[in-house]
Amino acid sequence: MSTLDKAPISARPVPNPKRSLITRLHMGTGVVVGVIFALVAYYGLHSLYATTTDGVVNPLSSHDNNIILLGAMFAWSVGFLVGIGAFIGPFRWLIGKDLTDEEILYLAGDGQGVKRYFKYCTDHKVVGIQYLVGVMTMLGVGGTMAMMIRTNLARPGAHFIAPTVYNSLVGLHGITMIIAMIIVATGPFGNYIMPIMIGAYDMAFPRLNALSWWVLFTAIPVLCSAWFLGGIPTGWTAYAPLSVQAGPGMNAFIATIIIFAVSTAVAGMNITTTVVAMRTKGMKWNRVPIFVIGATISVALAIPAFPTFMLAMVQTGLDRSFNTGFFDANVGGSGWLYANLFWIMGHPEVYVILIPGVAALMEIAPVFVRKPLFSYNAAVLGFAGIAGLSVLVWAHHMYLAGWAPSLNGPFMVTTEMISIPTGLLFLVLIGTIWRGKPWLKLPMLSVFAFIWDFLIGGITGIYLSDVPADNYLHGSMFVTAHFHFTLMGAALTGAIGGLAYWYPKMTGRMLNERAGYISFWLVQIGFNVLFFGMFMAGAEGQPRRVIDYAAFYKNSNLVSTIGAYSVGIGMIVLLWAVIHSWTKGKISPMNPWGAKTLEWTVPYPVPLTNFDELPIITSDPYGYGKGK
Amino acid sequence: MANHDEHAIEELPPTPGERATHFIKRNDVARTALLFVAYTGIFIILGKYFYPKWMPTIMSKEMKSAESIMIWFTYISAPIAGIVLSVATNSFMNFHRGDTPPPDGPAIRTNGPVVALWTIGSLIFTLVAIVWGLLEVNSQAVAAATDAKSAITVEVTGSQWLWTFNYPAQGIETHDLNLPVGVPVVFDVKSVDVNHSFWPVQLGIKVDANAQVTTVIHTTPTMVGPIEVKCAELCGLYHAYMETNGAVMSKTDFNAWVIAQGGHTA
Repeated sequence: MSTLDKAPISARPVPNPKRSLITRLHMGTGVVVGVIFALVAYYGLHSLYATTTDGVVNPLSSHDNNIILLGAMFAWSVGFLVGIGAFIGPFRWLIGKDLTDEEILYLAGDGQGVKRYFKYCTDHKVVGIQYLVGVMTMLGVGGTMAMMIRTNLARPGAHFIAPTVYNSLVGLHGITMIIAMIIVATGPFGNYIMPIMIGAYDMAFPRLNALSWWVLFTAIPVLCSAWFLGGIPTGWTAYAPLSVQAGPGMNAFIATIIIFAVSTAVAGMNITTTVVAMRTKGMKWNRVPIFVIGATISVALAIPAFPTFMLAMVQTGLDRSFNTGFFDANVGGSGWLYANLFWIMGHPEVYVILIPGVAALMEIAPVFVRKPLFSYNAAVLGFAGIAGLSVLVWAHHMYLAGWAPSLNGPFMVTTEMISIPTGLLFLVLIGTIWRGKPWLKLPMLSVFAFIWDFLIGGITGIYLSDVPADNYLHGSMFVTAHFHFTLMGAALTGAIGGLAYWYPKMTGRMLNERAGYISFWLVQIGFNVLFFGMFMAGAEGQPRRVIDYAAFYKNSNLVSTIGAYSVGIGMIVLLWAVIHSWTKGKISPMNPWGAKTLEWTVPYPVPLTNFDELPIITSDPYGYGKGK
Repeated sequence: MANHDEHAIEELPPTPGERATHFIKRNDVARTALLFVAYTGIFIILGKYFYPKWMPTIMSKEMKSAESIMIWFTYISAPIAGIVLSVATNSFMNFHRGDTPPPDGPAIRTNGPVVALWTIGSLIFTLVAIVWGLLEVNSQAVAAATDAKSAITVEVTGSQWLWTFNYPAQGIETHDLNLPVGVPVVFDVKSVDVNHSFWPVQLGIKVDANAQVTTVIHTTPTMVGPIEVKCAELCGLYHAYMETNGAVMSKTDFNAWVIAQGGHTA
């Protein structure tokens, strides 16, 4: 940072640290070194565990096989990071040096064009675009899996997909979407936009920022490898002992979660520190844009939540590799222990996903109705209340596990109390649009869609939080429909609204409006049809995660599948719009929406350090409206 | 690049307070009120007709309570949904199109009474839901305890991918779940492999089957008729097909069935 602070960007020489190793490393060298590490680990461990009897190689036990595969996967991840140069800085520190100023500037990637997106680049704007492309890829893959699932469920007895493949699809759709949704707003917008919004030159720890993305990147091939190792039969919840019984594909799941948890920890610390320490002069806490508050609460909530999942996966890996018996009751462990660890992560995690999406829409609504955000304090308290309560509700996923029936009452109380801060979020949004004339651009449409979708998700959540109703609904399609209304209908709608809103700042061009509208209606109508059918199937008594169902459920499932295709087509249209507009869209003015947050005061392309001179803030960014 | 004066955002008066008269404007209120009535009505109708139509035959008190909670929670949610959706729709109907932003709206930063009312309202709503749920949970627990003396026991074993029912007092083991009407029943549920979840659909109860531990649920079938038993926890390859049938039958029919299975009546 030191060099970057000193001089305005125009006065700086173009960095050219010719002989530095850093200039020669990129994604390609990362892949090469990663593959070498993985192969060395694989064959090294293989030779360690392989035994021969009378010159014949004995087959490996499943335990040994798991050790070898996990070893190779982690070696890939570490090797990739070595190959892309992530450890050059720490190694220099180890020997009492640091990167030279020239090298630091080189890492920031200024003037390197498209190449910098494939390098260990510390510029938060580059990392934001990397996240955006990564998220869209994951959503595309996860969505394709959802289409395959719905196609298989279009009519009863349609064996379009084999049972082993189907169960893997269910699990991989789940985990791909969960990972994508955790980073869908805080990844692209938290990295690209947020530092500009708070008036900072960069993130607090630019190298950790690059690390968080590239660590996450290494998880993608690991997760994909599950397909070639027999898939995962457990769903994304990976309950023990099914996960202990599962085949080699399970190792890919375990390694993915552990790698992803490292990435979220690094990103969470970085974003939190940036917001706490690097807000520009005058930006007191009550002047911070609400998206920044939401994103920070979200990542700060992820910091304590994910380690329990990581720990549970380490233990599952140990159970599978060394028969340690943490979770397998047949060797003295407890599946309930796993379920607790999982949901202690799992319930905060849904709010980690939800909050940034809502916060993005709260940023959008005042701009498009030209009114101040209604009750900023209620918004902050709403987010904080949800985050605080969310760590106390995990066992509502276990009402019917038989684990502790006497705790059902207390967990029902904490769960239903979440209605109160959630209600505040609704109040803020409807208070903001009350008596406004909403400018019906794409971002604003998302606000309306969110209000409807999240209302349905919220009300159905109240049934599920009630133990006697959950007696019937638990484990049914009703639950699947409920959480898709909250995670997809609310959080993804928020993120798509955010994309339409910040697209001009991230690409310099406007998102194609016609395609955006077509996509919006296809997705929203299809989505509601899809999950209306699923509510119906669940109320009728169809369990979730089934490959087949009785003829009795055929109408509700057909409705769902028809809706799903509409969502699928709509998402393809959106993808086309994003790709097409990136190079061919209408050039955007600096502030196309007339918004008052700081990111709209910088030109495109955003200069390396965002601002030549940091702005001074004298009020919050919601000073719209006439009449005092 | 602009200097910092251009970045600086205009100062607003520090008082965020708004008089109620400013917050409320007559034609907005009238339209919103109409929409409120319409939306609330729609939700009440949805609750009244959809769930009873969709959900299976009620064959126990637990099933009755699950269904009535879904219906009644829909009713008490209806006015909240009505407020949110009527305000949103009213605003939507005032929309503005075009390439320039609309004129500024009223600068309403907050409204103390509205925020307070909303918060107290949602608190009351939440308390109603909580108290209702707790009373229901308690009455089910009390019923289970009092019924336990006269109950028959069924040991349920889940295995990949089969349900097995053992009636220890009758000395029979089957794969169909038959129960006498009006007699309390205790299910002792366990698994021999991975987790399953025992779900006799029309009885409205459910509990996980775990290896090495026994979980217990109770019910009293209140009506004669067929029941389905499903697995509600992903348990591997043929999870979807881990289902069986059964019936709630009259005591005479049940005893006849037990004898036919080679058991003895108590």
